[in-house]
Amino acid sequence: MELLGIMLAILGAAMAAGWAGAGSAIGVGIAGESGAGVMTEDPGKFGLVLLLQALPGTQGIYGLLIAFFAILKVGLLGGGGEISVSVWQGLGIFFACLPIAIGGYFSAIAQGKTSAACIQMIAKRPEETGKAVILPAMVETYAVLSLLMSIILLNGIKL
Amino acid sequence: MAVTSIKKAEFYIHKADVDGVLAALQNTGSYEVMPFSEENGDGASHPVHPGLPKVESDLGEARFLLRFLEPHFKDDISSLARTMGDRTQITLPEARKLESSTDIKDLAERMRLFERRLMEIRSELSLLESTETLLSGMKGFPYPLEMLTTGTERIRGLFGSLDADQAEEWRREAEGALGSMGEVYVIGGTEKDKEVRAALFYEESFAQKASEINGRYSFSRIDLPSSLRGTVEEELARGAERKNILSAEEESILSKIKGEAQRWVPTIHALSDYWNVLRDRYLSLSSGGATEQVVMLRGWIPESKIPEVRTALKSFDDSTALYLSDPEEDDTPPSYMQNPSWARPYENLTRLYGAPKYGEIDPTPLLAPFFFVFFGMCLGDAGYGLLMIGFFTLFLRKYKRMPGTFRQFFKLFVLSGISAVVVGALTGSWFGDIIDAFEIFAFLRPLKNAPVVLNPMENPMVFLAISLALGVVQLLFGLGIAFYDGLRKRNYMEAFADTGGWIVFLVGLLFWGGVAANFLPPETSALAKTLTILGAVVLIVTQGREKTGILSKFISGLLSLYGVTSYLGDVLSYSRLLALGLATSAVGVIINMLAGLAGGVPYVGWLIAIVLLIGGHLFSVAVNVLGAFVHSLRLQYVEFFSKFYTGGGRVFSPLTYKTNYVDIIKDPAE
Repeated sequence: MELLGIMLAILGAAMAAGWAGAGSAIGVGIAGESGAGVMTEDPGKFGLVLLLQALPGTQGIYGLLIAFFAILKVGLLGGGGEISVSVWQGLGIFFACLPIAIGGYFSAIAQGKTSAACIQMIAKRPEETGKAVILPAMVETYAVLSLLMSIILLNGIKL
Repeated sequence: MAVTSIKKAEFYIHKADVDGVLAALQNTGSYEVMPFSEENGDGASHPVHPGLPKVESDLGEARFLLRFLEPHFKDDISSLARTMGDRTQITLPEARKLESSTDIKDLAERMRLFERRLMEIRSELSLLESTETLLSGMKGFPYPLEMLTTGTERIRGLFGSLDADQAEEWRREAEGALGSMGEVYVIGGTEKDKEVRAALFYEESFAQKASEINGRYSFSRIDLPSSLRGTVEEELARGAERKNILSAEEESILSKIKGEAQRWVPTIHALSDYWNVLRDRYLSLSSGGATEQVVMLRGWIPESKIPEVRTALKSFDDSTALYLSDPEEDDTPPSYMQNPSWARPYENLTRLYGAPKYGEIDPTPLLAPFFFVFFGMCLGDAGYGLLMIGFFTLFLRKYKRMPGTFRQFFKLFVLSGISAVVVGALTGSWFGDIIDAFEIFAFLRPLKNAPVVLNPMENPMVFLAISLALGVVQLLFGLGIAFYDGLRKRNYMEAFADTGGWIVFLVGLLFWGGVAANFLPPETSALAKTLTILGAVVLIVTQGREKTGILSKFISGLLSLYGVTSYLGDVLSYSRLLALGLATSAVGVIINMLAGLAGGVPYVGWLIAIVLLIGGHLFSVAVNVLGAFVHSLRLQYVEFFSKFYTGGGRVFSPLTYKTNYVDIIKDPAE
């Protein structure tokens, strides 16, 4: 049964890294399509476009982070001794990974759309870059909150 | 704190001295032109500077030359260095000398000739190419092409294309109809071709019949250029030869253009900037008004710059009068932000949001300390902070003449790096946990551990509490500013009821929470309750004041208390300080761990480890600096500014030396 506990923790880690990463990939992709369109008109905007395209990429990093935290916790990384994980503890780790898996996936896509729209905005008004960077950051708030909750939950599980 | 006070300036200048006064004003860079309205109706008209048409036309030529020559110009200095302010410097007398020694009209004329010739060559080349394609499909055609293009006295030729599957049938029918009076050719393509080329010769009297036959099939005529006379092979050779000649000519013209570009582009850059400066000066005259002897100019001068302007105009005292007045109700003066040097790097952040309106509070020095701390917490790694400081200091040292905005931005990043070093040292984060992760750094451990007060990885809840507390501080500070602003504008209702009510209410709630959580002694409980109730009563009584009828006033007032949720949301938003800080250190830890694992690989492990460490940390610093910047900024814009700041003002943009390519050194004598 101890094995099941560890497997549940791994499932959680896999979902955190996988779903948040998938969301970021979609989000960055959406923003990139829009950016390519803008750059056909004005290749000089590459720097600004890249900045905005990078914004939905953070969810993937947050997911990876939680995944590492989770497998560190059950001792799969970093040479520590065997840790015994009960099924309930494993389930707890799995649940703790869910906020960033779900929040990361959906917020990255939404942020990608906002970034794409903001890229269109700086195509017409490059002087408003400050505002264009803030709008996608509004969406990211909820990914940050998901990350926070995942960290707090993982931190709270005693092994 | 508020933006600097600005005066409305009116100049009355004798016509003879207008040029001198304008030059002097442009030198000071402290005067913004305001279009002169003709409301007085005293016959004032907009004067046009006699130099304007020439400058405009010269600028037009310069634009043409730059568009034409710049693609061929190879700059010895990289475009990055150019942007960073590595520009040629030129004084005004030098620019004037350059102007008189350069015949830009003649140069433009010569370049236009080149441009025209290049266009001719290119169009002829493309014609030759299409003929070549056509001819290469006709290889093996036995007669001179003359037969098809002009024909002989009695024979006419037709050349065209035909669907491949109709070709055989067409040939049979045409041959039958023409008999010995004509000849038919199908120039076989390969089997895959859907169309074949075909030629038809006939005696003139058969023209009608030939076109009837062709009409029944999909024969479509192809016109050959009438210059083709010889056989296909001859013509192909002739075309190739012509192409060679033209390409050689094109090449020689291009190399000539390249030479000219190398020689002239720097000059044209300087001249174009010089003319732009003159144009700005002349145009500012056009927005003035004039009578027969006097020119009137109207504009804005920041109060602090007035002595400077007066000194600059000293030599024109006899012929110039300057009247200063305060802006009136319906004026829209620009705002001139003036901050102490420690806050100046943060002005860019205010500008990104929108400059303050005239008379509004300039939030720059107010947000500066918060941004400094927040950035440090979001990045939260001393190693990354050091990287930032090093990188941006290097740039600041390398490019001394960087444009002002860039310089301030780079300084902002250096400051932010310092803040990250402080926070990183206090939390013991240096490139993640590189000092603990690798035995080589063991000797640094006592040094690293000495300043550590809190490890957010082990104690996230304490760090979260600090983040939220900072949020409470900034929000109350923002409300405090709004309170002060209300008093300053003598809008007491806004100050005491709207802002004051909330301050009292929120402070009361905080105390209450403190008592409930046993942070504060129970004796303060009465104070907490009083404050909360007082604040709530003020809000309930005042927030419905625009409604009519007691009941709806009361209900609106009561509902306004629901606004407390938005304050709760604002405070929770500051939890990102913890999350981002943790994310940075954790990414660093992961990189170190992966490098440590890779280090165990036999023989090449150390190499992989080093590559992973350098690449990983560079990636991490880039991503996390972006995140830290955006999120610290968002806390200012969304949570802080919403309490007291609207922005949307116009930045003071004086008549000055605006250049694109070179720096024109101001000439104090002028």
